[in-house]
Amino acid sequence: MRKNSAFWLQCLLALALVTLVFLVFRTTQSNLELLGVQSGFDFLWKKAGFSISQHLIPYTEDSPIWAALAVAILNTLLLAVFCVLLASLLGLLVGIGRLSSNWLVSRLSLAYLELFRNIPVLLQIFFWYYVALRALPSLESSIFITDYLVLNNRGLYFPFIEFANGFSISPPVMGRFAYEGGFYLMPEFLALWIGLSLYNGSYISEIVRSGFQSVARGQWEAGAALGLKPVTVLRRVAFPQALRAILPPLTTVYMNMFKATSLAAAIAYPEIVSVFVGTVNNLAGRPVEVMAVTLAFYAGVSFLVAWLMGRWNKRVTLRGQ
Amino acid sequence: MVSELNTSSARRGLTGWLRRNLFSSWWNAAVSLVLLSLLAMLLARLFQWLIIEAQWAGSGPSACADTTSLCWPFVRARWPQFLYGLYPSEEIWRVNLGLAAGALLGAALAVRRMPARRWIAAFLLLAYPPLAWWLFRGGAGGLAPVETSLWGGFFLTLVVTGSVFWVSLLAGVLLALGRQSRLALVSQACTVWIEFWRAVPVLVLLFVVIIMLPLFLPANIEIDKLGRAMIAFAILMSTYLAEAVRGGLQSLSIGQYEAARALGLNWRQSRLHVVLPQALAVALPQITSNFIGLFKETTVLLVIGLFDLLGEVQRAASDPQWLGTGTTAAGYIFVAVFFWAACFCLSRASSRLERRMTRYRAAAN
Repeated sequence: MRKNSAFWLQCLLALALVTLVFLVFRTTQSNLELLGVQSGFDFLWKKAGFSISQHLIPYTEDSPIWAALAVAILNTLLLAVFCVLLASLLGLLVGIGRLSSNWLVSRLSLAYLELFRNIPVLLQIFFWYYVALRALPSLESSIFITDYLVLNNRGLYFPFIEFANGFSISPPVMGRFAYEGGFYLMPEFLALWIGLSLYNGSYISEIVRSGFQSVARGQWEAGAALGLKPVTVLRRVAFPQALRAILPPLTTVYMNMFKATSLAAAIAYPEIVSVFVGTVNNLAGRPVEVMAVTLAFYAGVSFLVAWLMGRWNKRVTLRGQ
Repeated sequence: MVSELNTSSARRGLTGWLRRNLFSSWWNAAVSLVLLSLLAMLLARLFQWLIIEAQWAGSGPSACADTTSLCWPFVRARWPQFLYGLYPSEEIWRVNLGLAAGALLGAALAVRRMPARRWIAAFLLLAYPPLAWWLFRGGAGGLAPVETSLWGGFFLTLVVTGSVFWVSLLAGVLLALGRQSRLALVSQACTVWIEFWRAVPVLVLLFVVIIMLPLFLPANIEIDKLGRAMIAFAILMSTYLAEAVRGGLQSLSIGQYEAARALGLNWRQSRLHVVLPQALAVALPQITSNFIGLFKETTVLLVIGLFDLLGEVQRAASDPQWLGTGTTAAGYIFVAVFFWAACFCLSRASSRLERRMTRYRAAAN
């Protein structure tokens, strides 16, 4: 294509894009006016007026809406971090299990992969929430895993650091209506944590397996020839090399897992979609602003994760490659 | 743990196999025994839960007196709802006809020595989708209209997956070509579009499109909820497919582009006859895995009040007559088995196709 015509073609395209954006903007404005919807971010400083069942920072019904947003974001991140940890652990164990010389171990690992990868993750979350966790005993007949780890159909209770007066560790204690003190994970959180981790762990296991298989056979043999124990060869020889093949696809899975935490809205775990897109949008009636904040949050975290994983990836890749 | 090099026992037969694969060392033997006993316990418990303790007989809600053990009569009683949602029963022949025609065309394509395979493919890609939509939706040509709010179940899952994939494949190819364009504006715009939507969860985009699209459009244009949901799915799916196709485009050697130009082909001809056939073939595994992902992801529709297969099960299980964890669990197991079988077969078919193409390419080189 000649340079000149390319220039004019791009000018035309730019004009078309700007016109489209302008038209959409004008239509939206007039539609919002017709509906009597106000605009602006001032609603963030209004009183929230609703309670949130899990908050990592102090929050009451009298707190402003931006505090509710902060609570929701922290809940999202808490769930995402828990899922990344458990899914990575599962994926690593099962991925190495696939390569085991023990037939039973490798077959069971394969069965795990095929079972959990091929069932929609929302269905798995529903199963844990509506079936498995519903079968847990009620408060009166709680299961004590240890003295300080209590499980019943209201969640999992465990001791937690208390900051109120200095440092102390407060165990869960049976109060009048429920366990008090310590910290507890609500059933919604548990269902999402288990469901998302098992589903994404299956993808990670496949990445780990192919990562280890990409390590040249001679590397294993050389490690063995040096008299290293198989576990040491795995940890110190194979793993650092496998990591190079593992990290790029692992980033994608982490990102998918983070995005999938939004499924929490289906069982009303108070993360950003159910609190902000759901409750706040209904109360404040500012759809454009609410959606913009939510999209900005997801885009921001995704780019941050991509950037961090990219830096880690640079550190483990071979220099000169 | 990792494959040992000297498998010393060379004995044949079952004992040899057991020795080599389960009891090759003390450590392995211990692991095998622990796993075997755990597995036996788990399978026995599952067998009991799924078969022995489950309730099988009867047809109405009264069949499941015990609300906690599995209730199979629920699946039997609500079977039509799981398949078709609330689609009027006297019109269901239209759904059956449309889906059967699609399945038949697809099967015909899978036969390698089919005559006029090219024409069948063209028909399936170009004529079948609008015809099927007309058949399902009605309202013209003597067919009674059926609102999309009545569509549901397995039928809705298939319609959404098929329609979204059909639109997204075309849009994805265009986006991938756009991202490669030498016009800086086009490639930048496509890159920003793709990178932004890749970061957004499907559920969030569903809410965004459902709530915002009516605001973006003039008041006289109205798109129903299913249409808006499919637009949201298509935006995401087309960016995923664009990335898959881009991988294929990048795998082509520069010589292919140069050869096409040397032959005097223009941009459209070279993309259509030289570049895309090769790029799509390379991208095929990625494309199928995205298709499987889309198929599983349609379950998210239930959050916005559209009832796909899982949504219909959820709706049926919340019927006060059937309430109980036993009914819910039976419904979930039914959906899980269905999705599992479909996804497993699709991924197996995909890897078979991939192997065939690798052989084909190896022979061509």
